Amino acid sequence: MPPASDLALLQGTLDVLVLKALMFGPRHGYAVATWIRETSGETLNVEDRALYVALHRLEDRSWVESEWGLSENNRKAKYYELTARGRAQLRAETTRWTQYAEAVFRVLRAAS
Amino acid sequence: MRLGSGVRKLLRQPPAVRDVEREVDDELRFHVETRVEALMSRGMTRQAAEAKAAKEFGDLGAAHDEIIAIDRNRVERERLVDWWEALRQDIRFATRALLGRPSFLIIASITLALGIGANAAIFSVVDAALLKSLPYAEPNRLVSVWPDASMMPGVFVEVRNATRTLDPIAGYSGGTAVSMTGTSEPARLVMSEVTSRFFDVLGVRAEVGRTFIDGEDLPGRDRIAVLGHSLWEQRFGSDRSIIGRTVIIDGIARTVIGVAPADFHFPSPAVDFWVPISLDASRANIGRYWGTSHLNVIGRLRAGVSVARTQQEMAMLIDRARSSFPWRMPDAWGTGVTVVPLERKVVGDIGPMLMVLFGAVAVVLLIACVNVANLLLGRAAAREREIAIRASLGAGRGRIVRQLLTESIMLGLVGGALGLAVAVAGVRGLLLLVPAGMPRIAEVAIDLRVLAFTMVTALVTSLVFGLAPALRASRPTLQTVLGATRSAAGTLARRRLSEVLVIGEIALGVILVAGAGLLIKSFWRLHQVDLGFRPEQVVAADIPIPAFPRDSAARARQFFAAVLDRARAIPGAKSVAVASVLPFGGAGSVQSSFAADIEANPVAPGGLVPMLVQTVVSDDYFRTMGIPLKSGRGFGAADRDTTSAAVAVVDELTAKRIWPNAPALGQRFRPVWVKPWVTVVGVVGTVKRDSLNSAGEVSIYLPMGNVAGFWFPTQMTLVIRGEGDLATIASALRSAVAAVDPSVPVKAVRPLEELVSNSAARARFTMLLLATFAIVALTLGAVGVYGVVAYTVARRTREIGVRMALGASARDVLAMVLREGGTLTGVGVALGVAGALASSRVLAGFLYGVTPTDAAVFVSVPAVLAIVALGACVVPALRAARVDPVTALRSE
Repeated sequence: MPPASDLALLQGTLDVLVLKALMFGPRHGYAVATWIRETSGETLNVEDRALYVALHRLEDRSWVESEWGLSENNRKAKYYELTARGRAQLRAETTRWTQYAEAVFRVLRAAS
Repeated sequence: MRLGSGVRKLLRQPPAVRDVEREVDDELRFHVETRVEALMSRGMTRQAAEAKAAKEFGDLGAAHDEIIAIDRNRVERERLVDWWEALRQDIRFATRALLGRPSFLIIASITLALGIGANAAIFSVVDAALLKSLPYAEPNRLVSVWPDASMMPGVFVEVRNATRTLDPIAGYSGGTAVSMTGTSEPARLVMSEVTSRFFDVLGVRAEVGRTFIDGEDLPGRDRIAVLGHSLWEQRFGSDRSIIGRTVIIDGIARTVIGVAPADFHFPSPAVDFWVPISLDASRANIGRYWGTSHLNVIGRLRAGVSVARTQQEMAMLIDRARSSFPWRMPDAWGTGVTVVPLERKVVGDIGPMLMVLFGAVAVVLLIACVNVANLLLGRAAAREREIAIRASLGAGRGRIVRQLLTESIMLGLVGGALGLAVAVAGVRGLLLLVPAGMPRIAEVAIDLRVLAFTMVTALVTSLVFGLAPALRASRPTLQTVLGATRSAAGTLARRRLSEVLVIGEIALGVILVAGAGLLIKSFWRLHQVDLGFRPEQVVAADIPIPAFPRDSAARARQFFAAVLDRARAIPGAKSVAVASVLPFGGAGSVQSSFAADIEANPVAPGGLVPMLVQTVVSDDYFRTMGIPLKSGRGFGAADRDTTSAAVAVVDELTAKRIWPNAPALGQRFRPVWVKPWVTVVGVVGTVKRDSLNSAGEVSIYLPMGNVAGFWFPTQMTLVIRGEGDLATIASALRSAVAAVDPSVPVKAVRPLEELVSNSAARARFTMLLLATFAIVALTLGAVGVYGVVAYTVARRTREIGVRMALGASARDVLAMVLREGGTLTGVGVALGVAGALASSRVLAGFLYGVTPTDAAVFVSVPAVLAIVALGACVVPALRAARVDPVTALRSE
């Protein structure tokens, strides 16, 4: 069940998630998808389609670079890697998200 | 593998746009298949796994399209960026390479500047004369009617009244020299007589005031004038209040009604102002109205009317006008009427000459290219190592060629910029040289079109001289180069190419020099032509009739008699005369001819009436001009006034043509419109009239004292045969005229020889330019031969040393080098002669007394070329002969 609200939520968030997924080194799209699914404890229901669009959009913005390589199962796969700019972007976005989430959290927890 | 991002970028080739699709396919398929495998490994059936994977993925087709769009966009952008990046790199590199060898840069760019500049200069003339459309409103609707002939005013009026294809239609005269008085100083100016709608046909509006309107070419309304812009500027200080003022033109008061715009120069830049022609059909004017043909006719095609239809109509109307003549016109008259676009009439016959010059100057540029290509080849030798290193670092051949071409193009652009300076100077020089009557010369300028031409020429040139050396230099010779300092194979191939280039250069040089040789010989021949008179030591001055009405022939006669008396008294003047028109009289003189009745030979109705050219002269004319009297007598005391018998002198050509079967002396003729017969009393030699290379025209001379039924000319030319310095005679002549009537302007006093040589101005222009090009070609050719031979000698110092060590004498070495240079020269000259023989036919139309395959030219030109080329070999040959074997063997 891919609810429309989820997609809307993910639209801006997905980029950060993908950047984060690549922080630990080059990965292909499938690995990124798996990583997000597993790390979020299957909470974030990301459509693969949106993920790939995000990857290519990030590449278009020069935040990631791609290169063909061999996957674990010995097949040709396209690997993505953060660029210096992508790394900086991830840092900035992480800060912004943390502040935002904390602010929202503070409000929701307000006692009076 | 952590390469710096810059290096990775250089190594990574952005995929071609068509590869994008395949990559996206692969990527997505990998994802889906891997997911299916993973799910199946958890125990799902393939079918269930595939369904789940598809669901997780979402709309695969849409994703596919969206991703491809993103990637395409990115790839295209990256390719553009890469292209720019490489270009910037190339430019940086080329700049460094060019500045690193300033002597090469200077020599090459000067060579190119000469070639490109000369081309741009000639192009500016060609463009103005042949390519630009006429500067009038809708120029493609303008036509010239019967461009080979001109119309009698009477015919024009009939045609104008009847035409339904041209609207408006107008006639104009080419220009007559007249005096303008009544303002400040009297001035000698050129006036064009035009019909009322002249300016309307061309779509030109007055800058100040107005132009002529319908009906102003009729008697009574015609005493007005439109001034040319430069006349208005120079003589009236651009004063706008000139409108309404009166000027006196040849004694007739005319009101200024307008000033033409600055860029208006029709029919020629010589014209100072325009007046309406008086279309006076009255009995008194019948001779002028029907007998003089001096209207050139132009018109504007009505919308949708073709030139062909207009031509049909004009032929019909002109033929119909025949019946309106007061006398019977020959059947041949009025046939062959054509209508052509005005542009073609304006350009006239200048086109072929300009194209020959354009071709010649292009050959000069080609030779310049060959020289620069040779320089580049020599340079490539020095850069072999550098290029090999670049190749070994992964630069493809295309990349290296592109790099070298960038260098060529920059060189070409530098040459082009300098060439523009050459062109500016060249155009100035050309304008000083151009023969009178060159069409649209006022429009010649270095404008945007010439700039564009120069740029394109520079770019094309760069490719021409850069491509062969670049391809040659980029040919992979990797294995040899990185180890050794030089590749023998590369050197040999380069030398071959160099030699081919030099052979080509010599061949082109031969073609140009042969062309120039033919023109020079032709020009010399023109000067050998028997003129029929002796122009040396004669000065000529145009003297208009003073400001009294034109019809006062008696007063005019008295005036000229008085001028002659004064002129005879000038110290150094041996013989003095006046004539209505001189041979080679120039722009301001009008040659009039008339239809004649011949008493002994009446023309049958419909037969061809002979047209005779008439000249009114004073007594001593033949003696002054050195025209020999063949039989009978010249003019003298017996012919001094109108009461004497009407007599004429004819030239031999006329005598033979008109009276082929009997002596001309005593024969009688008359203009078709008058009664009294004119008797031939003398026969003189035939003279060349307006060009050196045309046959004479049948002409008769009338005594100034008694012009019988003819009208008296409006101006006379005074000729003085003198001794000593002609300049003193000329100034004395001015004061002599002033003493008789100070209001009469004497514009120019010129040696008769100058008038004659001016008539050959076009031949001289073509010859001078072609000779200049030939000299440049010869110089460049010599430099090219020198360069190649010197280079070869330098590369072979060691070999020469060995030869000398083995016993070759200095003389043997000298002979060897000269033999090699001689072989190149010989092949080049042979090819050139073949080329010249094949191409000199294009010059046929410009040659006089010389065939395009003139033996003398075709023997001497190769000889000159051979001497120059061998001369260029001598210096390097001597250098080779002085090689010291010991030093040579130690080197390398």
